[in-house]
Amino acid sequence: MRAVDGAKAAVLLFVAAIMQVSIFAQAHVLGGVPDLLLVTLVAVALLRGAVVGAAGGFFAGLLVDTATLGQLGLTSLVLTLAGYWIGRYGETTGRDRRHAPFVSVAVVTVLYSFGLLLVRFVLGEPAPAAAMLRGLAPSIALNLILTGAVYALVRRLLRPLDRSDLATEVQLLG
Amino acid sequence: MLGSSVQRSRSKNQYAGRARSAMVRRLILAVLVVGALALLTISFRSPTSGFLHDVQGTGATALRPFQVAAGRVARPFRDAYNWFDGLTRAKSENAKLQRELRQVRAQATEYQAGAQRATELEKLLNYEQGPTYPKDFRPVNTSVISFPSGPFAQQIGIGAGTSSGITINTPVVNADGLVGRVTNASPSTSVVTLLSDPESAVAARDLKSGVSGLIRHGQGNTLILDQVSKEQKVSVGDVIVTQGTRDRRYPDLYPYGIPIGRVINVGTTDIASYLTVQVAPFASLGSLDSVAALVSTKRK
Repeated sequence: MRAVDGAKAAVLLFVAAIMQVSIFAQAHVLGGVPDLLLVTLVAVALLRGAVVGAAGGFFAGLLVDTATLGQLGLTSLVLTLAGYWIGRYGETTGRDRRHAPFVSVAVVTVLYSFGLLLVRFVLGEPAPAAAMLRGLAPSIALNLILTGAVYALVRRLLRPLDRSDLATEVQLLG
Repeated sequence: MLGSSVQRSRSKNQYAGRARSAMVRRLILAVLVVGALALLTISFRSPTSGFLHDVQGTGATALRPFQVAAGRVARPFRDAYNWFDGLTRAKSENAKLQRELRQVRAQATEYQAGAQRATELEKLLNYEQGPTYPKDFRPVNTSVISFPSGPFAQQIGIGAGTSSGITINTPVVNADGLVGRVTNASPSTSVVTLLSDPESAVAARDLKSGVSGLIRHGQGNTLILDQVSKEQKVSVGDVIVTQGTRDRRYPDLYPYGIPIGRVINVGTTDIASYLTVQVAPFASLGSLDSVAALVSTKRK
């Protein structure tokens, strides 16, 4: 990946993180909250692979935890794993598939919510599972609404790589 | 064509390169996960002090202008939404407010006389007491710069910190009533844990009947006045304010008399030891734009 692409991805994630903590976190619709940062991370990871996804997730999480004076590392940990997993999906089975961003966002919203719940539970922090479950379906719907526009914007800024540039282990036939 | 030979397009070098890149990728993931866990461990052990907290505070200060700018960009849209939302509810709210105004006017005269008498008696008795609200507090008015994300964190970020006199446990209010207290502070930003947080507990009293209890989070946007025994009398419509006394289990950090909310429902069951008193908070905890941190001007 070129340095320019790295800079673009960093700026995208920075803007998304700031917008998430300052604007989107307040937009409660039917108990759900849209997560612009997660959707942007999914788009970046799908287009640039697992390493960029994991690194992007780590630094975006760090940014969120710093901006909110939250527990450092908590969001980073979950977003790192989410970025890596979606990156791998983008490098392998999800490659060139139109539905990949939507499937990824839906699945990762669920995993991200459960991941945060689990980490908070392990740390002995309040982890209201019922409230999380109530807001899960609206959150998925809101994130899916954002996905089309965000993915198109990210794809415009970060052009898809050639297949040879991607680190693959699973080669698709056909 | 089972009998035909398959040409292998990949050389050994290509496979070796691929294995190496997979190893590098996993190594990067491991480093990042270990880094996140290390940060989490340090942050968990000392959430409000230490080197990492200072670095985080500096980072938060650096990010603050971006958050403020994002808030300003979003403000017209938020205002437009609130305007339409307010318009639909204005008529019923107006009638309700008129009713309340009539009640409050009648009460105000009564309270004014009582307050004057109490002040005179305090002077006569040389009565010593802790800081009283709002007389002994200096409000630090500030904007909300970050909001709770999802059901996990009932906390907001505000754009003022220790440099403005804010410390941990500083009470935070808005024009309507109590919002919460500061639980983490850096020089220019602070974190406020809202009343709706599951960990929050505020000693409170019913202004009319004098019944005391603990305000905790409830279902939806409501609060619960807990620990009120069945023998005590609480009525729908009663105003709940901060108690201002100190409890060993839940140290009360708020001065007496900050409005919290109004009782909307009182219920009980045969097996329950306490009344279930549901309280609607005066402050709209889900849509806070600006708040005031109450910095005490009186030495404790």
